[in-house]
This record gives sequence, structure tokens and C-alpha cells, in this order.
Amino acid sequence: MNIGPDAARNAAAFAILNRETRDTGSGRQHRPCMTRRDFALTATGTAVFGSALGAGFLKPALASNWSFAPVPIPGGSPGLGGFYHVFGPASGLPDPIDAEPSTITNLDGFVGLAYISGMVTRTNSKTGERLRLPYRESDMRFMQGKFRGTDGNIHESTFALV
Amino acid sequence: MDVFQLRAGDQTETQIRDLNPTQFPQVGLFWTIEVPGHSVKVELDKGKAILQAVHVPIFDYGTIPNALFGGGPDPIPGSVSFRVIWRGMQEQVDIRNTDPVFGGFEGQFIRNKAQMEWTATVGDYRFVSDPLETSSSSFAEIGSERNGSFFSGEGT
Repeated sequence: MNIGPDAARNAAAFAILNRETRDTGSGRQHRPCMTRRDFALTATGTAVFGSALGAGFLKPALASNWSFAPVPIPGGSPGLGGFYHVFGPASGLPDPIDAEPSTITNLDGFVGLAYISGMVTRTNSKTGERLRLPYRESDMRFMQGKFRGTDGNIHESTFALV
Repeated sequence: MDVFQLRAGDQTETQIRDLNPTQFPQVGLFWTIEVPGHSVKVELDKGKAILQAVHVPIFDYGTIPNALFGGGPDPIPGSVSFRVIWRGMQEQVDIRNTDPVFGGFEGQFIRNKAQMEWTATVGDYRFVSDPLETSSSSFAEIGSERNGSFFSGEGT
């Protein structure tokens, strides 16, 4: 199965996800319609999530522009169907606070993780229009140190999740 | 970075920007890129770490679902520069997680606070965040860990 034929079904599924998320009013004002954690929570309880994934998503792929790519962590958050090689400790995902914060495996090094919110000003370079907008729960991480790459050898490097 | 906009007529915010460095479809390493070594500086004994990079190529997918599954507008290429600072030592934890799903690593971590400032350019739009001091984190941690072949003395 490739992802092309699934596109329409995906769009319909996400429309449902969006609607469901918006309808779960918390009473808070200016609640984000769907932050990354909201999306994960919604996806967890939505059967369409699994069907929205094509088998093409499950194929491991390596960054082709690296001479010795790191290896993704095995598995991934059940909140994202286990298909994406990432966990969200202390996020809206159903992952424990002690879940793996790194996205690469065979690592011996430093890691950092943060979910950060704030305000940003958007400027249209053509019209000069400026608009202040919130950014929510931006997931920022780093990994730095020794790692065993896809070539089986040990390397040292620095990585960021943006 | 996940940017939202207040919807007219109600009190919800709709995501309008989802900036991450991975080309669609998202497979393999999750939103993870290699950055120069000087991008990260860690002082665990002080509870401090810095992550910074400039002109990192990204794609704007608009929304998270579009970034993960597609089906929406084509992503727009752009770039982002950012500086994240972790500070403080609210809690120190030693973790040895052997859970078959969530674990396979051990390490020493400091839970603290993080703040960020960033800029981005996507199409005709330029984004400039408020100063770092005005941002806040819902969760932040830094530490040192060993996983995979380096976990449980399996590695060299």
C-alpha cells in the first residue's frame, strides 16, 4: 500500500480529529485547537489513526545525505500508533515521564528536551502586515555524544529535534 | 515550532504553521537533524544547557496532521534559527528504564525550565519570537544517557 490512495481518507479522518478536538471545550479561553499533545491524545482514542497509516510509513528510511546516519530508537509512542520513532515524556502522549527522550539509539551522550510556548510576530514581507501569534508546546530536543551509526561504527556528533 | 491563530467567533486557536526539518513522508529519524557540534553546550552540574542553530532548513506543513500524514497543502520550504536555554535544578532523577515499549535506556537527568527565542522565514512571511525571557516550558529536562548498544554495558 502506498500513501497516495490514502490521502483523501486521511484528510477526512483529520477533519474528524479537528472537529472532535475543537468540541472538547475545557473552559479555557483561547484554547489551541490542536497542539501536538492534543493531536496525540485525539489520535490515541481514534480508530481512524491506524487506518490512516499506509504500509509505506512503516518502512525504515535513513537520511540519505549522511555518510553515517544514526539509528532511530526502536518503536515509538503508542499515542502515535507506535509508528513514529519518538516518545513524549510528560507530554499529552500516554508516555510516562520516564520515557525515552532521545530519538536516536545506540547513544552515549547528553540529551535535552523541552516543550516551550510563547508569542511570535509574523510579518508579511510584501505588505508589511504584522500579526502577533502564539506558539504552543514546541518540542525542542538535543542529543550529543557518541553513537553507533548505521555503518556499525562509533561516531560523535550533535543532533536536534525541531 | 507550532504557531496558532485565534479563530474569529470562538475561543479556540487553530494551528497555522508547523515547522519541522523532515521531508514528507515522516519515516526514520523523527524531526531530527544533525547540527554543528557548537550548537549544544551542556553544564549538567549547573543545570544548564544551550541549544542554538541558525538557518536550519525546515518545511512548513501548516498542521501536525499534514506533517505526519499529508493530504493537505504541499509543505513550504523555509528556514529557522533558534536558541533554547535550559536552567535550574528542580529535580534530579536517575532513570534505568527497561520497559519494552518506553525504555531501553539509563541515565541521570535534571528536570528544570527552558526558554526559547527563534526566527523563521517561510515564503513571504518572517517570524520573530518575543524575547527568550517571555517564553515558558511545560516540561524540561537535560541529562546524560545510554541506550541501545550502550545500555547495560552491551556497548564498548
